[in-house]
Amino acid sequence: MKSIRPVMPLGFRTAVALVLATVAGILAFTWPLLTGRGSLLEHNASAPVVLGLVLLGVLSVVLIALGEGGIDAKAIAMLGLLAAVGAVLRPLSAGSAGIELVFLFIVLGGRVFGTGFGFALGSITLFASALLTGGLGPWLPFQMLAASWIGMGAGLLPRGLRGRYEIAVLAGYAAVCGFLYGQAMNLSFWPFTLGPGTALSFQAGAPLAENLHRFVIFSITTSLGWDLARACVLAVGIAILGRRMLDALRRTARLAAFAPAAGTGGHNDLLSMSRE
Amino acid sequence: MTPDGIIRFDRVGFRYADSDRQVLRDVTLAVPEGALCLVIGPTGSGKSTLLQLVNGLAPHFTGGELAGTVTVDGRDTRTHPPRDLADLVGVVGQDPAAGFVTGRVDDELAYGMEQLGLSDRVMRTRVEEVIDLLGLDAVRRRSLSELSAGEQQRVAIASVLTSHPRILALDEPTSALDPNGAEEVLAAILRLVHDLGITVLMAEQRLERVIQYADSMVLVGADGTVRLGLPTEILEGSPLAPPIVELGRLAGWNPMPRSIRDARRLVGPMRDRLSAHLSNQLDDPASHASAPVALTTKGLQVRYGAVRALAGVDLTLRAGEVTAVMGRNGSGKSSLLWALQGSGVRTGGTVLIYDTTVYDTAAREATQTAEVRHQRQPGVDPRSLNPEEAIHRVALVPQSPSDLLYLESVGAECRAADSAVGAVAGTAQKLLDRLAPGLSASRHPRDLSEGERLALVLAIQLAGQPRVLLLDEPTRGLDYDAKRRLCEVLNELAARGTAVLLSSHDVEFVARIADRVLVLARGELLTDGPAREVLTASPSFAPQVARILHPLPLLTVDAVRAALAAES
Amino acid sequence: MPGLLAQPATIHPMAWWGWAFGIAIATTRSPGVISTGLLVAALGLVVAVCRGDSPYARAFPAYLALAATIVAIRVVFYILVGIKGGTGSVLPLPRIPMPDWAGGIELLGPVSGSGLMSAVSAGLALAALLLCFGAAIALTDPLRTLRSLPASLHLLGTATVIAMMLAPQLVESWQRVRRAQKLRGQRLRKAHSVSATTTPVLQDALERSLKIAASMDSRGYARSRSGGSGAVLTLMIAALVAAALGTYALMDGTTPRWLSISLLAGGATAAFVGSVVASRRIHATTYRPDPWRMREALIAMSGVGVATLAFVSAAVGSPGTAGWSAAFLLCAAIATVPIPVVMAL
Repeated sequence: MKSIRPVMPLGFRTAVALVLATVAGILAFTWPLLTGRGSLLEHNASAPVVLGLVLLGVLSVVLIALGEGGIDAKAIAMLGLLAAVGAVLRPLSAGSAGIELVFLFIVLGGRVFGTGFGFALGSITLFASALLTGGLGPWLPFQMLAASWIGMGAGLLPRGLRGRYEIAVLAGYAAVCGFLYGQAMNLSFWPFTLGPGTALSFQAGAPLAENLHRFVIFSITTSLGWDLARACVLAVGIAILGRRMLDALRRTARLAAFAPAAGTGGHNDLLSMSRE
Repeated sequence: MTPDGIIRFDRVGFRYADSDRQVLRDVTLAVPEGALCLVIGPTGSGKSTLLQLVNGLAPHFTGGELAGTVTVDGRDTRTHPPRDLADLVGVVGQDPAAGFVTGRVDDELAYGMEQLGLSDRVMRTRVEEVIDLLGLDAVRRRSLSELSAGEQQRVAIASVLTSHPRILALDEPTSALDPNGAEEVLAAILRLVHDLGITVLMAEQRLERVIQYADSMVLVGADGTVRLGLPTEILEGSPLAPPIVELGRLAGWNPMPRSIRDARRLVGPMRDRLSAHLSNQLDDPASHASAPVALTTKGLQVRYGAVRALAGVDLTLRAGEVTAVMGRNGSGKSSLLWALQGSGVRTGGTVLIYDTTVYDTAAREATQTAEVRHQRQPGVDPRSLNPEEAIHRVALVPQSPSDLLYLESVGAECRAADSAVGAVAGTAQKLLDRLAPGLSASRHPRDLSEGERLALVLAIQLAGQPRVLLLDEPTRGLDYDAKRRLCEVLNELAARGTAVLLSSHDVEFVARIADRVLVLARGELLTDGPAREVLTASPSFAPQVARILHPLPLLTVDAVRAALAAES
Repeated sequence: MPGLLAQPATIHPMAWWGWAFGIAIATTRSPGVISTGLLVAALGLVVAVCRGDSPYARAFPAYLALAATIVAIRVVFYILVGIKGGTGSVLPLPRIPMPDWAGGIELLGPVSGSGLMSAVSAGLALAALLLCFGAAIALTDPLRTLRSLPASLHLLGTATVIAMMLAPQLVESWQRVRRAQKLRGQRLRKAHSVSATTTPVLQDALERSLKIAASMDSRGYARSRSGGSGAVLTLMIAALVAAALGTYALMDGTTPRWLSISLLAGGATAAFVGSVVASRRIHATTYRPDPWRMREALIAMSGVGVATLAFVSAAVGSPGTAGWSAAFLLCAAIATVPIPVVMAL
């Protein structure tokens, strides 16, 4: 069976960087649940700026690490293309109330081209679409990281799956991601949407269970419908388009194949797409 | 041949990774510095591969297996990937707009220099130089997507020139351009060769445009073998030849002329022979004036916002007639075809399609009466038809035929076409077998050559047996052989009563196929008349044969041959 | 319509981002509605005077609408589920207790003037933060912003430029294919027709991405770049460790503040050094780089000034009783410094 080698293979240190970025990211996303009394973030309107800055730094660091040592022009062009597809889908789907089709191609790209590519694709897609639509805000680093996780996770799904199973797994994965994405964004911006002093507001230092309970009620009453709709649309999207799009992506990956010829030498063999 | 050319191939062979076919085999050649070397060969023969070998894109980028060595100014491409040759070789691919990396003209010109790490001062100077050299001052701040095709081609050439390469490899720089755009690009290329001494390696299908400028020629055979020589040597035995060379062969001229001027010096005796006999035996080409009307328009208008694409066009297409519509880029040719098909924009006027099937074959000869000519039966507005009905009346092959293809094999596309029009299974496949014999049904539509893809789309669009066929720029990317086959197909369709309307920049093709020529300018129908009259009268649309034999109204070598045969 | 003095095209985008970011920090320190309103007015004034005529310059009104929505959402939530109390009831709504599983919260309840005021005030602070981003977007060209990213971020920069170039072409290609497919006379089910259109568009685009890559390669992309450096990766890992620990320290009430701040600062330093090292090894240059002159420095400094002043006034004095202080009046004044700077161009 032809399988495509990851486009941006991860060295040990790059992999460590991805894990650390994930840890920092999880902390930043779940801060309303973890923040203790007397901490810097309690009652602090600057939390979105501070955490946004931290995440921006984390993302920059990971992207520098991924780009370190040079990336094949094919990989860059492919990243740019798939990011453009996502950026075009985003305003289209915004009309249908935040049903983010943008993740469709992040999942497929991560699946075909691997973990490192998926991570980069997630961030770049959201970044490009924010620049194109002028939708920049303190939420951007959060969205970028969440999208990167989705792309990265797609790259971690079992490689051997093909055919119907592959589509089913991807559709399920996309649905779960679509749902969790909404919840994660909710969680990190819950305190700001609501503000302090309501019965559903987060309270720094309150027991985890209590804050979680408030959050769940807040989430159910505000965004559950959207999140479920997003999950369904993504699953249906993968079911309809997945096969064709995967074929097209894999076909291009093969066209771009680089079977190292004797004596052409060089380090760029490693970075190019080729088939095993 | 100088043994120490700036580009040297030493026993070079090349094979792509997924294929067993040797694209090039045992190529040994040397291109001298400062030459304009023309690379010719049939489609798929490895012309592009040859160009890519010069800057190492093959094999470094494309993959595949390289045998022998390619040396460019002493650098071995095996050890120098494309990026390390960027200061020496500039490459412009077939679709220049597809290679743009930035959004604006001046940024695009600077991109290569940025990668080479040149200082800002040097970059500014070079950008100015190149802008002057290629006449791009008017567009320097424009967005790349707003440029015309000719400007895009010149920007693409300029963008590799800023790195001061000593070699340019250009893949079909004029094939997508209208005659004017092509002239501008060729003038720019000649300036580079003559004034700067740049070595240019240029692949081109439209030999009639470039042959007179070549210093040497490389003929790439279908089997991967390559011959380098002087243009006259190569042209003598080449299966690919522009009309001027075919005419030269017919007349037995030696040395073979390459420009209209040279040929006109030689053509005297032949012209005298022809003109003596032509006057009495030059009959009108098959007149279609009595054929049933297939389509009429009255005051057809198309506007896009404030832009007027068509301003009141009156037109009648008749069964069995092949009509060509010509004109500059943006003169409204595509708008006309789309409006006739019915799914394009139409802001005024009427379009009516008539059913001409009743007049087929025997019926046609038997009933050439006044009633038939005046079309008693009512016409249908194509806009009132839904797509499923329209395909049986009028078919359109758009400019990029691949837009229609979405399945994963040729066979699947054909089956989809059959079921769409309710034709007997295998109809489209049978048509395709005639249009492109031997095309395997299992191939991926994306892997086909331009000619094969056009054949597939034609087969799909003809499965519903439409009586009107519209083709938008069908000769794009076709080699002589594919054009000849397209000619045969269209003639056959016309003979069976289909009205054919095609738009084209390709003067030679139009001269061969069209009964009638329309010329559009700024949305207005300037000329509408028999091909022979329109093409011989126009300075820019006259084919080579007509230019050489001026004022004789002969358009093609075949016509000359027939006239000579009749004479003797 | 461009502003009165539409010349921001000549100003380095990072100057505007620095300015906007300084004001963003100040908004998080703003004590009340009036002080926030002053900052917002300053933002609006600068945008109105200094924006250019690019499509992005028109983004500000959209941000204003979004900001208004945020304030409205805050107020609605306060009325619905806010914990009522305070003085001066303005809207005596009944309390509707919810069942226990819902946390025993109450819906509605008497709306007090002071409660409403604090909801508006907090909403406005967030809205002002948002408007800082809106202002920066209206005043800069994203392509030029990308050009001024450090060379080490070439992965993000290059890919984003390509994406922004391809996006409009994808839309065009989609429309073209959609029109062409009708020519086949096929009636496809909705799902089929979506995939029939998407497939050629994507295939075209994928082939195109290979052509772009070939063009980049033959024009010397990544020419002057050597292989990866272990030092950069090590620095980056150190930065990430510091970021993770620092973030945790931010949230943990028992960690001393200096520790979390110095962890984050240390991480930022490691990232910065790593980025500089990585950038140094890339020898690509920039054509007509945006120069950083006196006026850029002044614009960025005014942002820094606003942030510093806001911090100092919040730390030193108690916020003014009327919800604003002289310090914030001064802040707003400094925030409009770009106007005379741009005028002096």
